[in-house]
Amino acid sequence: MTLQLAVTFSQLSLSHYLVMSSVLFVIGLVGFLTRRNLIVMFLCTELMFQAAAIAFVAFGRYWYDFTGQVFVIFILTVAAAEAALALALVVLLYRRRSTLNADEWMELSE
Amino acid sequence: MDGLYPYIACLSGAFALYLLLRPGPLVVKLLGTVIGFCTLAWLMVICSQTVPGSFEPGRDILFLVFGAIAISAAVRMITHPRPVYSALYFVMVVMSSAGLFLLLEAEFMAFALIIVYAGAILITYMFVLMLAQQASEAENVEEAPLYDRLAREPASAVVVGLILAGTLISAMTTGLSHLPEPMDQNGMNQVHGDLLESLPRQLNEAVIRSDPDAVWPPLEANQKSVQWDEDGAYVVSGTDVIRIAPESMPTNTQHVGWSLVHSFPASLELAGVILLLAMFGAVVLARRQVEYGEDELRVEVGLEPMHPSEDGDGDQA
Amino acid sequence: MTGTTIAIRIAESIPAVPAVPMADVVEATSHWWAGFILWCPLISLVLCGLCAAFRVKSKLPAWITVLSLACSFTFTVILGNLEDVPERINLFEWIAVFWSDGSFVANFALYIDSLTILWMSFVTGLGTLIALYASEYMEPDLGKGYARFFAGVSVFLFAMGCLVMGDNLLMLYLGWEGVGFASYWLIGYYYRRPEAVAAAKKAFIVNRIGDLGLALAIYLIWATFGTIQYNELMTLLDEGTYATVYEHWSVEAIPYLLMLAAFGKSAQLPLYIWLPDAMEGPTPVSALIHAATMVTAGIYLIARMYPFFLLEPTSLHVVAWVGGLTALLAATIGMAQYDIKRIFAYSTVSQLGFMFLGLGVLTTYGASYHVFTHAFFKAVLFLTAGAVMHGFAGQLDLRKLSGLRRMKGWRIVAWTMFVGCICLAGFPFTSGYFSKDAILAEAFVTQGPGFEILGWIAIFTAFLTAYYTFRVWCRVCAGPVHFEPGDELHDDDHHDDGHDEGHGFHPHAPRFAINFVLVVIAAGALLASVPYFMTNEVSDIKGGWIADMVNDSTAASGIPGHAEHPGTIAHDHSGDHGHHHGSILGMDPHVAMYYISGVVGGVGLFLAFWLHLWRRQDADRLRSWLLARAWIRWLPVAMENKWYVDEVYHALVRAPLWLLGHIFHGFDRYIIDGLLVDGTARLPRLVAKWFQPLQNGMLQSYAITMAGGAALIALLMILMMQFFEGGGVQ
Repeated sequence: MTLQLAVTFSQLSLSHYLVMSSVLFVIGLVGFLTRRNLIVMFLCTELMFQAAAIAFVAFGRYWYDFTGQVFVIFILTVAAAEAALALALVVLLYRRRSTLNADEWMELSE
Repeated sequence: MDGLYPYIACLSGAFALYLLLRPGPLVVKLLGTVIGFCTLAWLMVICSQTVPGSFEPGRDILFLVFGAIAISAAVRMITHPRPVYSALYFVMVVMSSAGLFLLLEAEFMAFALIIVYAGAILITYMFVLMLAQQASEAENVEEAPLYDRLAREPASAVVVGLILAGTLISAMTTGLSHLPEPMDQNGMNQVHGDLLESLPRQLNEAVIRSDPDAVWPPLEANQKSVQWDEDGAYVVSGTDVIRIAPESMPTNTQHVGWSLVHSFPASLELAGVILLLAMFGAVVLARRQVEYGEDELRVEVGLEPMHPSEDGDGDQA
Repeated sequence: MTGTTIAIRIAESIPAVPAVPMADVVEATSHWWAGFILWCPLISLVLCGLCAAFRVKSKLPAWITVLSLACSFTFTVILGNLEDVPERINLFEWIAVFWSDGSFVANFALYIDSLTILWMSFVTGLGTLIALYASEYMEPDLGKGYARFFAGVSVFLFAMGCLVMGDNLLMLYLGWEGVGFASYWLIGYYYRRPEAVAAAKKAFIVNRIGDLGLALAIYLIWATFGTIQYNELMTLLDEGTYATVYEHWSVEAIPYLLMLAAFGKSAQLPLYIWLPDAMEGPTPVSALIHAATMVTAGIYLIARMYPFFLLEPTSLHVVAWVGGLTALLAATIGMAQYDIKRIFAYSTVSQLGFMFLGLGVLTTYGASYHVFTHAFFKAVLFLTAGAVMHGFAGQLDLRKLSGLRRMKGWRIVAWTMFVGCICLAGFPFTSGYFSKDAILAEAFVTQGPGFEILGWIAIFTAFLTAYYTFRVWCRVCAGPVHFEPGDELHDDDHHDDGHDEGHGFHPHAPRFAINFVLVVIAAGALLASVPYFMTNEVSDIKGGWIADMVNDSTAASGIPGHAEHPGTIAHDHSGDHGHHHGSILGMDPHVAMYYISGVVGGVGLFLAFWLHLWRRQDADRLRSWLLARAWIRWLPVAMENKWYVDEVYHALVRAPLWLLGHIFHGFDRYIIDGLLVDGTARLPRLVAKWFQPLQNGMLQSYAITMAGGAALIALLMILMMQFFEGGGVQ
């Protein structure tokens, strides 16, 4: 793949990517709030991570600064760690109640 | 991006999302889908109208395709009643955002995303889902558990999402016009040249490839060897100007690697530690716990059991 | 003193003596023992307190008090004979604050001039005698309130000493409040009687109003002149530095505030209502505090601060008119009362009015002399009333007592009361005759708004005085022997020889202590006319020794150039006789007053003898005749009901305050307590009730709240950023 250096990244393009990122983020949030399945809720958080990653990369391209991409690497790291721990917890919870319904766990009010 | 149009678009998008989330007949869902796509198209038009810019068919059509796939997959992901399908739709989101990354010239990240997210993390999710969910033989949606089929308070969630979207839109309205101009070609060439300067062997090879007769390295050691202008990077050797071929320039992977190792070494180490600890944590949490009784505990620390088994062979003497 | 200095001359024919140069005040460190005039009552207070604590059953507290007060009196007399020059005796440093451009100095120091000596001599002298009297009078309370009573008397004497002898206004204020407190203490002595408690409260509260005036006046004096020490103040006024502050409004306000204080303490017109009620206290207290000494503190204050009043002549007109009207009003009320002590109380108010009249018409000498004589004859009148009350079990109604002078053991009481009455009535050649004439005559001499009318009002009041005084004597002491006992029968009633009137009641006649004190004070009342003829240093002063003394004090200090100031009272005695502007019936007022006063006194006396001794049924007939005529009916009714002043005050002051109190109570209960306090307590519960549904344990509810909150905060921040950028940059 050859590097197409002549292509400039304008404000026009940036706003497109940011709108895309925002829409994804909001969808992830709404999903987190509406879905009752613990695992799907975690998936929605991953979606929000995705949206953030797109925004980072778009900004990095805008400045031609690779720190944005480096940050995405760290997002990946955190996402992976979060997935591991969260899924372990979900497994633990599932063993207790044999369900993935988040509303089953109402002890937070006590 | 001025005026009320972006907010109205948010409103109609939120309405579409609400139609899709609430349980209802298929017609309503179709209507929601149509409204949603119309809203997306409108948003894109609003974005394109406000700031003048060139339209490049290849790149922009790809952007629209990837964006549409990503968003519709995301919507389907949060509306699908079966978690496994949700996970698969999320894979789709990841794929299309990888495509977006490619458009953004972030090739390394695009492929890393597919490998790590789609390949590793999502597979973990799938495993857990398989473990937890009693997979129904039939593909019948009706047999999925109720809590997966019914969205929880879609109205309030959509309102919160609307508020958030409005906030983000106003942030963009405010902020984008204040942003400085993006990096121009000269600056990009400088970035490339600077990195090439830090990679002596690649520079050497690049120069030799461009001009096999070049006297290299140049005599003036204290001078910065790689220069740049609008057309690209070049090396001055004596009176000769040697242009470096575009294919010899540092790649995206090199840039990311250099940035990661050169600018954020400590963070890199920290990320490794976090992953290790997460692994330990997952192992400790998910392991099946065995409850020790009191007697076992006593025996474990070397004490006599309090309730010796009556019929056991343990003699009391 | 420069030639422009025009001193205020006191009485007739006093040559133009320049005011005492106040800069000459001597710092008398060698007279440190003068402090014991104050310390003796204080020691007595402590000892009486100890007696009360150890429940001493004997008369020890009385003897302690009598002894210490006698010591005070002795010291006062010695001090009075030592020096003629005003002197300052610093006892200890009390308050002394200095800063860059001012100071506030109020040391515990005595300022001794002849005015002080005059006051202290009768205060401590009468105090001693009345304490001696009380040692017998208070016998029924032996072991109960006996020590408490004498402690109160000691406090009073200490406070009165501070008031009179203080070197500065703050010490005067200390004494002022102290005597008010002692008065409250002693009026409420019989604290089991609701009337006594109410009277004590009334006295205290009414005095508050005056005390407010005094406090404000002291503050204004300090703020205007920068000092509250008498000698410095008088020097400032003497040197004419006052000219710089003369136009200042506070100079005009100070005398009115001081006047308010004096009217409160000395029971003048708006504020006199407490004094008649104060008779609920033990009679020696009425005699000492509410007749002879404390109530003259207002006279003392104005006499001491006289230069301030001369700066604002209108204030003196007010003083004169208030005094004259109070005298008339109190005399009319006194005419129609039946309670002996109340008659004497209204008579006190009336006589105090005379004294203020004297101050107002520029005769501090007359006022001071009347204070001096009044102290003796009013004390003796109260003490005889007390003896009657003591002997007849609290009987004070003059309709139910008669013929005391014919009863065995009561002759001394009857005749000492006669002496008191004759002095009060102003019968020729008694002490009251001379002192009252000094005031009355000056009302015709001094020019002021309506002073001549005031003079005639005062003469009419003198007539009324003679009438109601002898009404008491004729009813109680003369006539056929007849009595009914009061309702305060003591269990330990002595069975002295008394006339058995068939009621099974034996009045016990006074014994030695009471009789002795009565005789001594009655003699004093008669002899109080002697100073009028006695001269001290300037041989040709008529008015004698008292005039000399007043002339040596701040009460006489004139103001340089004050006569040139427009609007000042023209008080133009020249050195020789016969050039008065005022005159009565073409005669010199001072000469004429001897005749007029004598005739008026005689007529009043004759009327009293006629109506209340010779033809007692005529008095009743007169009363019923008056009551039968509609056009005159109101007069006796109003007089017997004290002109309804208490009722008017009740309607104007108490009722609005009562209403206000209820409004405030409601405000406190419903707004402060209900809304603010309980409301504050209920608010968290209410808020909790609103937000409780959020705490439902649902993970996603929390998430909704959190995400929505975060979004709102972000929105807010962005809006604010927009706002400030829009406002700041463009």
